[in-house]
Amino acid sequence: MELFNAFVVSLQAVWADSGFSAFEAGNGIMILVGLVLLYMAIVKEFEPLLLGPIAFGCILANFPRTGFLEEPGLMQAIHYGIANEIFPPLIFLGIGAMTDFGPLLARPVTLLLGAAAQIGVFVALVGAMLLGFNVQEAGAIGIIGGADGPTAIYLSIQMAPHLLGAIAVAAYSYMSLVPLIQPPVMKLLTTQKEREVTMEQLRPVTKFERVCFPIVAAIIISLLLPPIASLLGCLMLGNLFRESGVMDRLSDTAQNSLCNIVTIFLATGTGMTMNAHDFLVPQTLLIIGLGLVAFIAGTAGGVIFGKIMCRVSGWKINPLIGSAGVSAVPMAARVSQVVGMKSKPGNYLLMHAMGPNVAGVIGTAVAAGTMLAMLK
Amino acid sequence: MSQPVTTNPLIIMLINMTVVFLVLIALGLVINLIHMIDPTRPKEKKQEEAAPAAVAAAEPAPAVEPAADEKGISPEIVAVIAAAIASYGYGVEQIRAIRPIERDGWKNSGRMRLSHRRS
Repeated sequence: MELFNAFVVSLQAVWADSGFSAFEAGNGIMILVGLVLLYMAIVKEFEPLLLGPIAFGCILANFPRTGFLEEPGLMQAIHYGIANEIFPPLIFLGIGAMTDFGPLLARPVTLLLGAAAQIGVFVALVGAMLLGFNVQEAGAIGIIGGADGPTAIYLSIQMAPHLLGAIAVAAYSYMSLVPLIQPPVMKLLTTQKEREVTMEQLRPVTKFERVCFPIVAAIIISLLLPPIASLLGCLMLGNLFRESGVMDRLSDTAQNSLCNIVTIFLATGTGMTMNAHDFLVPQTLLIIGLGLVAFIAGTAGGVIFGKIMCRVSGWKINPLIGSAGVSAVPMAARVSQVVGMKSKPGNYLLMHAMGPNVAGVIGTAVAAGTMLAMLK
Repeated sequence: MSQPVTTNPLIIMLINMTVVFLVLIALGLVINLIHMIDPTRPKEKKQEEAAPAAVAAAEPAPAVEPAADEKGISPEIVAVIAAAIASYGYGVEQIRAIRPIERDGWKNSGRMRLSHRRS
């Protein structure tokens, strides 16, 4: 009998310490959300490299009593990297090493398209404030319109850390849906004649220009907007690795190994912010809705400014490249190419669209820096 | 967290968009400045001077050497060929004749074989 009692007591202790005893309906719902996201990543291949670890992080975050964030360990270290803005600049280092600024340097006027597309950020900000979010939360939600995951995470951590999960999921989900969201807006706002505009070939860009640009841009932007110095500084450092021609090993590491490792940490850590307590609130649905508004408004802003530039340049700029101003490198540029090719077979817009596309990355970071300076 | 400068969304939008445009315009100016001071930049002026000269000088070319073809070669084609040759660094005065290629495949084949033997 004594043995049986000891067995029962032990069993009760194991049960009391297990996750099942503290498991709530909310945890179950969030694990289901994680499974749906995993399905989208693996079966539908929507941004699988990001959505996969985010989804798994979401599942992990909803196991009760793991003590992930309370006790020192890997999970706490990952959370530290997110909460202290370590991972987004490292991702930017990799993006810089992967990005060719050549099309932007060959036609700097496309910077304006990258600026115009940022209107989506502020349309969403206005919408969020009208829906009752405070100004910091609205700024963090608005940045979804920049279609730039690391910048969205960077800004959310500083202005509305409790909304990080919803903002990151909205940003990455819509980035993967760019080929579905943008074309209808582009077609609605342009005429057949505008979509058929053929652009002149870009001039060759010298190595001198390619090396000077990241150095000078890092100096100017960091002096103007210190809050984003780490983001832009890492972007330009990565690009310098690439363009200098003497740091190939560093460029290779930044583009591949480092970027992949940091992506695992950043995405898993972002998923781990999606616990039921923070995520299962009505605000999440509003954020996802506002993110869609931000994407549509940003696309429209870029295309409308492209139409203006088309007229001003004497029909030398195809307005379709304006939509690429919403960052999402290089997907948004590919969308411009696909819509252009459908309107006029043989009209290759990809390289022309890469100019506003990389300008959008800088523009979103500048918008984030300005909001941090004004609103934090 | 310090107090925000303003909480009026429209003012935030206007200020932010202005800053984004100004910073990116400044970057555009910097890009142009880098292009201007680039010591490795190919000399565009020489090419620009050579191209109009080639076009201008190419126009009388048909008069120097009438085309073998009855219909002749249009001045536009002559100008394009002269500009292409000028872009390789040859002067327009070095162009002696521009003739349409023979349609006879046997003749062309013989010429090509001869030119290969010489080289």
